[in-house]
Formats: sequence, C-alpha cells, structure tokens
Amino acid sequence: MARSSPSPVVNHRLYRLVRATVAVLLTGVILAGFLGRIPELDILEQSARNLYFHVPMWFTLMGATIVSAYHSLRYLQCGDRLRDLRAREAAWLGLIFGILGIITGMVWARFTWYEGTGKWWNFDPKQSMAAVLLLIYGAYFVLRDSIEEPDTRGRIAAVYNLFAVVTMPFLLYIIPRQLPSLHPGGEGSPAFSQTDLAPAMRWVFYPSVLGFLGLFWLLYTQRVRLAWIRDQLRDTPDL
Amino acid sequence: MTIHPAPTGHALPVHPRQERPDTTSAYDSTWTEQPTSQAPDGLDQMMGAGGKIYVVLAVVLLIWFGLVTLLVRTDRKIGRLERRLGETSSEDASSETQ
Repeated sequence: MARSSPSPVVNHRLYRLVRATVAVLLTGVILAGFLGRIPELDILEQSARNLYFHVPMWFTLMGATIVSAYHSLRYLQCGDRLRDLRAREAAWLGLIFGILGIITGMVWARFTWYEGTGKWWNFDPKQSMAAVLLLIYGAYFVLRDSIEEPDTRGRIAAVYNLFAVVTMPFLLYIIPRQLPSLHPGGEGSPAFSQTDLAPAMRWVFYPSVLGFLGLFWLLYTQRVRLAWIRDQLRDTPDL
Repeated sequence: MTIHPAPTGHALPVHPRQERPDTTSAYDSTWTEQPTSQAPDGLDQMMGAGGKIYVVLAVVLLIWFGLVTLLVRTDRKIGRLERRLGETSSEDASSETQ
C-alpha cells in the first residue's frame, strides 16, 4: 500500500491513531452516558445526561473557530492557498457543530424546563447569543461565495474570519454570564468548579469533550484533503 | 425571563442511598413563566416518560443525524471529484487515439 506517501495535508499515522481513539472514546461516552449513575435533581432528572452530548458541541465549535482563525492568520502572513482551505473547512464544521448545539439545546429546554409550554425558543441569553454567532459565521460563507477571484476572496475572508473569532468569547461567555440564564456560569467556571458538576459525571464529560474535538479533527482533515485534491485538479486542466 | 425558585419543603422521590446535593439549587429552580399544573399531553408525555431519558435519546439521535448528513455530503463531494477525474481521463484517452 502506498499509504506512507507524504501528504501535504495530513500525517496518516496520526490520523489513524486519532480515529481509533475517537471511536473507542465516543463509544465509551455513549455507554457511560446512558448507563452511568448521576445525581437526582428535580426538573433535570435523567435529562442531565445531555451534558455529555449538548455541551461538547459548543466546545467543538470553539475549537473549530480557533483552528479556523489560526489558519486565516497564517494565510494573511504567507498566502498559501492550503491555509485558506483549512480556514474554510474548520469554519464550516464549526457552523455544523454550532447548529447541532442549538438544535440539541432547543430540544433539551423544550422538554425539560419548558415542558408543557410548547416553547421551542425561550430567548435564554446564551441561546440568543449563540444564534448571533452562527449568523456571523454564516456570513463568512456568504462573503466567500460573493468573491470570484481566489486571492482576493482568501484575503478578505481571512480578515472577516479574524473579526468573527473575536466575537466568539463575548457571545458565548462574557455577555451570557452577565444575565440570568438557564445555563450555568454566572458564578464562575461551571466546567471546572467543585460544586456545579458531580465528580462521577466528570469522568464522562471530559472524555466526551475530547472525543468530539477528535471527531471534529477527523472530519476537518478529511474535508481539507478533499478540498486540496480539488484545488490541485483545478490547477491542471490538461491532466 | 423571570426566575421562580423551587418551593422548599416539597417532598420529592430521592434515591435512598444517594444524597441530594444542595449546591445545585440554580438548576432546580422553576424557569417556566406559565404554571405547569395541567397534565402533559402528547409529545410532552412521551418525552417526559422514564425521567426524561427520551430527551437524551432525542439529543443523541439529532447529533447522529447531523453526522450522517456530513457523511453523505462528503460522499457526494468525492463522487463529483471522481466524475471529473473520469471525464478528464477519458478525454485523454480519446485524444491519444486520434
């Protein structure tokens, strides 16, 4: 097999290692997430298990936007087109994970805190700000698609992407934590504080975050490989 | 949004061996603006069954559907690329025979 041929996009050995780790980790998370014991709380009841699935979506979005912004910055420095492709694919996957985060959050709130009210959207500050963030990232793709010339597109999109990532911590953390919210975090860092998360749940929650970040990296690498091949094909019309 | 604290002294079924943490009152408060006195019906009844475990199932399924959608989209991209490769290689073949 010619698998060992060097690729400009990915270290295949690392890729296979991460793939195996993610497969094991997320299988364990699903099993432990449904079968493990959790503290019994009113209203939340068993739906507290959603912590393992809804929250990692946002950690993944955060990771994706940072990866995307890093490559946009590098693109502005060196103009390497692979950097532009990396920034685009990371932002696209970030958007997908963000949409999954919004939808899973809507379902969780609708049938837990808003049970019997029929309210799918409750204007929780974090929910609304997250929606704004997704619109900002959606605009990144609208902007990209509106510019024909690849170098101009890459440059303008990279500058916009750097603006977009700066809004991320404000929209996901700073503003929502100043307001009364269904989400934890008004009093400190809920992911690491001693009171907000039961010790037994940490053993599932942290691996879940790592697992979904790994899954993002796998999907991202796949898409960059594909985009890179397509880019190479465009450059050689008489292949 | 108004926050109504959960009524204190309200007897709740607690697992005998499990101590209820008292530091999580924020999650226990009632966030709804409407009173939840009416009996749940239809979708709410279904999702509320088994201690709301079906809410977790719905969330996991949604993530799963999202991942399947990604899989299909990537497949389509590969397919388009393969077709283009096929076109260019058949053009090459036809130009070689001329």
